[in-house]
Amino acid sequence: MGTMLVFLLSGTLLAATPLLLAAMGELIVERSGILNLSIEGMMALGAVVGFATIMATGSHWLALGAGGLAGVALSVLFAGVVLLALGNQVATGIAVGILGLGLSGLIGKPYEGMTVAPMKRMPIPVLSEIPIIGPGLFNHSLLVYLAPLLAVGLWWMLRSTRVGLVIRAVGESPESAHAIGYSVLMTRFLAIMTGGFMAGLAGAFIATVSATLWSDGMIAGRGWIVVALVVFATWRVDRLVIGAYLFGLATIAELLVQGAGIRVPSQLLTSIPYIATIVAISILSMDGRKMRLNAPASLGRTYNSTA
Amino acid sequence: MPMKRRLTSWIAAACLALPLTGTAAKAEDPFMVGFIYPTPVADVGWAKQLDLGREAIEEAYGDRVTTRVVENIPEGPDAGRVMNQLVADGADFVMLGSFGYMNDGLRLAQRSPDVDFIHASGFRQAENFGTFTARGYEGFYLTGLAAGMVTESNTIGIVAAFAIPEVIAEVNAVTLAARKENPDVNIRIVWVNTWFDPAREQEAARALISQGADVIFSLHQDTPSVVNVAQSEGVYVVNTGSDMSAHGPDAVLGSVVTDWTDYFVEAVGASLEGTFTGHDERGGLASGMVSVAAWNDVLTEEQMARINEVEAALISGEAHVFAGPLNDQRGTERVAEGEVLPDPEIFGMDWLVEGLTGSLPQ
Repeated sequence: MGTMLVFLLSGTLLAATPLLLAAMGELIVERSGILNLSIEGMMALGAVVGFATIMATGSHWLALGAGGLAGVALSVLFAGVVLLALGNQVATGIAVGILGLGLSGLIGKPYEGMTVAPMKRMPIPVLSEIPIIGPGLFNHSLLVYLAPLLAVGLWWMLRSTRVGLVIRAVGESPESAHAIGYSVLMTRFLAIMTGGFMAGLAGAFIATVSATLWSDGMIAGRGWIVVALVVFATWRVDRLVIGAYLFGLATIAELLVQGAGIRVPSQLLTSIPYIATIVAISILSMDGRKMRLNAPASLGRTYNSTA
Repeated sequence: MPMKRRLTSWIAAACLALPLTGTAAKAEDPFMVGFIYPTPVADVGWAKQLDLGREAIEEAYGDRVTTRVVENIPEGPDAGRVMNQLVADGADFVMLGSFGYMNDGLRLAQRSPDVDFIHASGFRQAENFGTFTARGYEGFYLTGLAAGMVTESNTIGIVAAFAIPEVIAEVNAVTLAARKENPDVNIRIVWVNTWFDPAREQEAARALISQGADVIFSLHQDTPSVVNVAQSEGVYVVNTGSDMSAHGPDAVLGSVVTDWTDYFVEAVGASLEGTFTGHDERGGLASGMVSVAAWNDVLTEEQMARINEVEAALISGEAHVFAGPLNDQRGTERVAEGEVLPDPEIFGMDWLVEGLTGSLPQ
């Protein structure tokens, strides 16, 4: 029982961390008014570049950094098309995502099916001594602790800092932001690059920290879950954190329920993480009017600053 | 210029990934054998085993044949397009490496009577369209015995891909064998309901380990995902397809290996001679299509002797994995004393044997 609870906690954190990382990036992008649907491809590219880096250098930190930069590279392409060439955001996002998936398979060919050593854990002194909760929550690699702290930082940034206000202003009304002298293009470009970095980082996390292997297609739809999480969280950081961890918890709980031999059809169990996340976040954002208030008003709309 | 070379190899890889167009002067060209794999060829796994079969064909027939591979083709419209292109390019023989290629493959076979096809795990045949399936359950019976011998927690965990008959038969074989060796053994199953999600497969393995399993069966995971977890968590693992002991030198208790080489060479040979007929090829331990590689040293000489004895009996036909009396989960008798489960029922298995908890996805 004890080891099961430990796994329930630690598995939840491991499953949720990459989702939360990528979703925070996507939240920044969407708050600036851009819908980026290429997260899946950016995560895949980040995963393979991270994996290649760790094979070459043996360093997890370099791998995570390189994965993030790979995401940035792809996001620059996306940003160029939607911001400079004024391409349709949905179509561009899907196309760039497919490109990322294809590139990841190509780059990953020599590494197909290979495995690497897991990242060193950093047990937190004292806290990790607590039975069950200690090994479950406080014996992980650094990024796992960092993700929720980053979320607090992001929440504070969007709410109380100048940068956060500019991002939100640009997302609400690019015309007004432009009129009072903020560069819509630059703000969105930086937001998209940040989103790319976070997605690449999340991919590299899966390939080098949680799964420690590379195989073509291993992101397996997580990028789309990230996009859905941001929407269901109604673009709010607090709900995003709840959603990501809840999704992780449900994924792991489902496996434990199956393993315990409880007679519930496994397809139903497999769909529980999705159902639970949707239900929980829907309840949180029951008030439709408030939800629409939360949505960045210019989300998905092409903005031409020279017009 | 390494950069330039890498770029060239990428371009080459990209070209290979696309079905090449071109008119082939069929009469002069060597006999062309086309292969379609659902996943990329790695150093282990399903596509790798199929590709070893391709290499065996090249070795056996030398200049008389050329082979062409299209890998990582998901089941669906893409697959149909790729196989049509292969035939249009002059393929004389096509190996379809995934169950879901069946309908497109059969239609193509009917339109192309001069081309012979073999199709993995399918159940429909035609004059020029054969199928092949491995009796993996025989290998899993042997490894199930070993699992029953080495488990200390008396808990065996199974990470299973999808509840299709092939996998269900293997789950049942593991259970029967482990229970025979060790009646106290408890079997836990997690159906991950995916053919491919390494991270989720690992989570499933970790969940089973946290529930006390000290031997994990990785049923139809194509990457060493579960093997990797077993190695780092210090439990034993039995995997499907290839010898994965390099990824888990201490952890792999045994790998149930499928070897298509003999069958592929024979089928292409028949096609070369014009004597090919589409039939259903089912090979197990006896034909060498299934074997267990990388037995772990933890098994003592007596234990190995016992396993070898059972293997010999299965090969000679003296013993059968699904020999009666056999009850299902609800206690209903499925095979009577003195009888064995006939092939069509093994390859259509949709019930779990007595003693298994958990339900089967319907």
